[in-house]
Amino acid sequence: MAALTPVGSSRRRRTEAFTVYAALIALTVVFLFPLVWIVGLSLKTRLQVFASPPLFLWRPTFENYAATLARADFGQAFVNSLLVSAGAVSLSLVVGVPAAYAMARFRFAGRNVLFFALLSMRMLPPIAVLIPMYVLFNAFGLTTTRTSVVLAYTTFSLPLVVWIMRGFFEDLPRELEESAWVDGASRLQAFVRVVLPLIKPGLVAACILCLQLAWNDFLFATVLTNNATRTLPVLMAAFSGGDTSTDWGGMTASGVLVILPVILFSFAAQRHLVAGLSSGAVKG
Amino acid sequence: MNRRRLLAASAAAALPLPALAQTRPEKLVYVGDNGPWHWVMVEEVAPAFEKATGIKIDFTLLPVDPWNARLKAELSAGSGGIDIVQWSVGMAGWISPHMMDHEALASEIMAKDPSWDWPDFLGGSKRAATYEGKMVGIPYRITTGIMHYQHALLEQAGIAKLPETFDELRKAAIATNTPPGRYGFGLSGRQGPALMSAFLPFLYSCGGDLLDLKTGEILINKPNAVAALDFWAGLVTRDKVVPPEAMTWEYDEIVAGGQSDRYAMAETFAPYGTLINDPKISKTGGKWAWATMPGQTAKEQGRTWVDGHFLAIPKYTRNKDWSLAFIQMACSKDWMRRSMVRGNAPPRGSVLRDPEMVSLIGWPPVAAAAIETGVPTPAQPVFPTLLLSLRTGLSQALLGQKTARQALDDVAVDWQRGLRRAGIKQG
Amino acid sequence: MGGTTEAAASGRIARRPLIRGRRRMIWADRNFAGLAILPTTLLMLLVFGIPLLFSAWLSLEAWSPDQTLFGGTFAGRANYQDLLTDPEFTGSLILTLEYTAAVVAAELGVGLGIALLLNIDLPWIGLFRTVLIVPMMITPVVAAFCWKLLLDPDHGVINYFIRQHIVWLGQPETALLSVAVVNIWQNAPYVAILLLAGLRSLPHEPVEAAQIDGASRLQMFWHITLPLLRPYLLVALLLRMIFEFRSFDNVYVMTSGGPANATLVLSMYTYLASFVRFDLSLGSAAAWMMMLISLLMCGCFILLVRRREAN
Repeated sequence: MAALTPVGSSRRRRTEAFTVYAALIALTVVFLFPLVWIVGLSLKTRLQVFASPPLFLWRPTFENYAATLARADFGQAFVNSLLVSAGAVSLSLVVGVPAAYAMARFRFAGRNVLFFALLSMRMLPPIAVLIPMYVLFNAFGLTTTRTSVVLAYTTFSLPLVVWIMRGFFEDLPRELEESAWVDGASRLQAFVRVVLPLIKPGLVAACILCLQLAWNDFLFATVLTNNATRTLPVLMAAFSGGDTSTDWGGMTASGVLVILPVILFSFAAQRHLVAGLSSGAVKG
Repeated sequence: MNRRRLLAASAAAALPLPALAQTRPEKLVYVGDNGPWHWVMVEEVAPAFEKATGIKIDFTLLPVDPWNARLKAELSAGSGGIDIVQWSVGMAGWISPHMMDHEALASEIMAKDPSWDWPDFLGGSKRAATYEGKMVGIPYRITTGIMHYQHALLEQAGIAKLPETFDELRKAAIATNTPPGRYGFGLSGRQGPALMSAFLPFLYSCGGDLLDLKTGEILINKPNAVAALDFWAGLVTRDKVVPPEAMTWEYDEIVAGGQSDRYAMAETFAPYGTLINDPKISKTGGKWAWATMPGQTAKEQGRTWVDGHFLAIPKYTRNKDWSLAFIQMACSKDWMRRSMVRGNAPPRGSVLRDPEMVSLIGWPPVAAAAIETGVPTPAQPVFPTLLLSLRTGLSQALLGQKTARQALDDVAVDWQRGLRRAGIKQG
Repeated sequence: MGGTTEAAASGRIARRPLIRGRRRMIWADRNFAGLAILPTTLLMLLVFGIPLLFSAWLSLEAWSPDQTLFGGTFAGRANYQDLLTDPEFTGSLILTLEYTAAVVAAELGVGLGIALLLNIDLPWIGLFRTVLIVPMMITPVVAAFCWKLLLDPDHGVINYFIRQHIVWLGQPETALLSVAVVNIWQNAPYVAILLLAGLRSLPHEPVEAAQIDGASRLQMFWHITLPLLRPYLLVALLLRMIFEFRSFDNVYVMTSGGPANATLVLSMYTYLASFVRFDLSLGSAAAWMMMLISLLMCGCFILLVRRREAN
């Protein structure tokens, strides 16, 4: 199935390949055009943005990027987004991966209950817990801190991590750890030294999906942060308010800067992403 | 830039530091909305304050809904985490129990610095800051809806005087309507918070009202209100003098629409006049004139809404004296004049009527006149629960899905349910 | 926090030297599963469970506009009754279900198409695989802002291409369509990746056997590939259903529920009830209704899978 059918002449195969390429290129154009156009807008001056008919060829200007990067709040928000995402991703992995392992390998009371509870948390509309979570953080003096955002994101990515990683662990043959146990390794040693290195692709996939969740969230960050701790999506929303709305160049430039890191990261880890999505998903 | 620095220095020098029983905090937490009008406060007043006192102002400026949520959650938890609250008229009811008495605080400032001139603040703005007899904050910005006109276009169309009645307004809109380039009348038609500020002036100018909260009587589907909506929505559905994309307009978009010459007239926020009339950013810069709302059949029936933002100190802060010092500085004459240049509409009579300002900006006397007779946004806590269905009804009428009568009758039915839910008796 | 328990456990084990051969199971080994799930359980109970209980209480609490957050008395199902008799809520529920069904169907269709194309081994196919997943990585708020610019009636490039002045977000039908298209644009690639992974893992034998029997492409797809792909399709269906059912970001940015409630999906209704009406009890009741419906969908899915496994 993976290759084009071997029956038929080579000429027929060539026309088929041509059709496939044509379809793929058409799809790529359709799916990437919005993005390309936005990048284009970010490279136009204010006059060029509103030119009618729209300009398709022009000498690109980087003034919008320069202006965006020169804003102190943009740099601050970028750092916040990085810190919060890194925090949420590492906390979810450190906490969630052992749990996924235990669920895949050991029978214990409440295993199914726990898994179902985690799953249903994945289903829950996040708005339901927004205000109560705020009140909770407030009681511990955590509001407007990055810690509160990290904790909130972790609760959303944990179920994801457990779900994906459980699939990976189940695919791994049991004999590997069992022989380590026989050799005298403790459960933890076997887990860290034998199992973890083998599921690196799963870790990468879980990592990307958690990162995407944390980097892209808007709702929780708006309520849980202040000007010093706000993340990029919140800043984006603030950009668009008020008399800046006609500054399409500035808006698109900041938008491009916001989405660039996740896109680059996903390019780098694209293969693992495919594996991760399918493994976790189907075993669920 | 020089002028700015000079101002900053003078204001800082004039600031009498709290004498200070209270230990100096590192920062004061300010929670407000992210509207584009406090840049003077953020970029100029706060640095000057920091220079004078060494205290940083920690601004948390949020979009409208999270701003409300943050204040609601934190204040009802009695948390001391906020030192300065910025609130607007509609919030007065529920925020009042959490705030100090600001009449007393104003006297406190006056005792230290009589030149601060508390009587200079417009009576209308003080009324708007008062809920059930208590002054809940110090006015910092007042907003009101006024008419914006491209004067020359009206004259070209043979209309010498600005419209004084709905009928004249309609005729002027039809006369200046030259689609698809420019339309006669602009309004914020997106189903969101701006929709109310677009409709209320027409409701009030028609003698209509929302509801009587004392008796619980619903007035929104009375004949006056229906006539108002019929006229207003009719501009869109019958007269077709409104740009079709106005159905997606909110605050920024109506400004952008004016800047790109999409309408000859509009009813919107007074301070937007500065942005729309600025030749540096607007195609129509320098062409605008302003007037108060026309009335249904006579000019003196014209009424509009009054809203505004207030700076207030919550009961729970530990840094009251320092917060007060900041409010004193931000609301001083010099800083309010400066804030006006950058898009604020300060509530000081001396600033609004300052001849230099009037010639520079134009709309302030009109705004001041509109405020005299304006109706403050209802502040009772139940009101926000009724807003949504009114937005829906207005949107349906603008799209022509329902007649004014049907739309408002449906709103009234929903309000009955809403009032019942809120435990309010209906007359 | 939860993490410390884990650290303590690992510390204890690390101090023991690794002994070759038979070794007594230490306490940490015997309770390994418990220790491993402890941090997750604690964290979820604390940071998620408590707020969830809060919100359950809110949804059962009597409400009045000037009471404090948790100051009401128990009111039974009054809030749910108010919710179910609110035509705006029932309208929103129906809209959301229809919207979810339509968007998910489109996502599955487009995603399957893309996956089938990407599954063909040709030079440079890797490039397409990489490029086509870009939309799903984009921050939804940013994507919605970008589409707002593309759809702008006066300066948007879409109206320029079709040479018409359509106010996409200002009319009920086109507003709903626009919001849906943005969602499909973002998530069809996600479905494609999932299905592509499925296609890659299918066994070759049935296809080869069918080829020998002289089956046509369409027949092979319909009778062999599609049934084999079923588990992957079901997962994609379930995941997208759950997420479209609660989609919020692009509605919030593009239309905030309007015009005339044409895009008032349930999470927008919940948001407005909680943050504009400030009726947290009604908002929590709506959120719980959403959760119950999601769980119902999930339950149906699990039943489906179970039945298939039983066969």
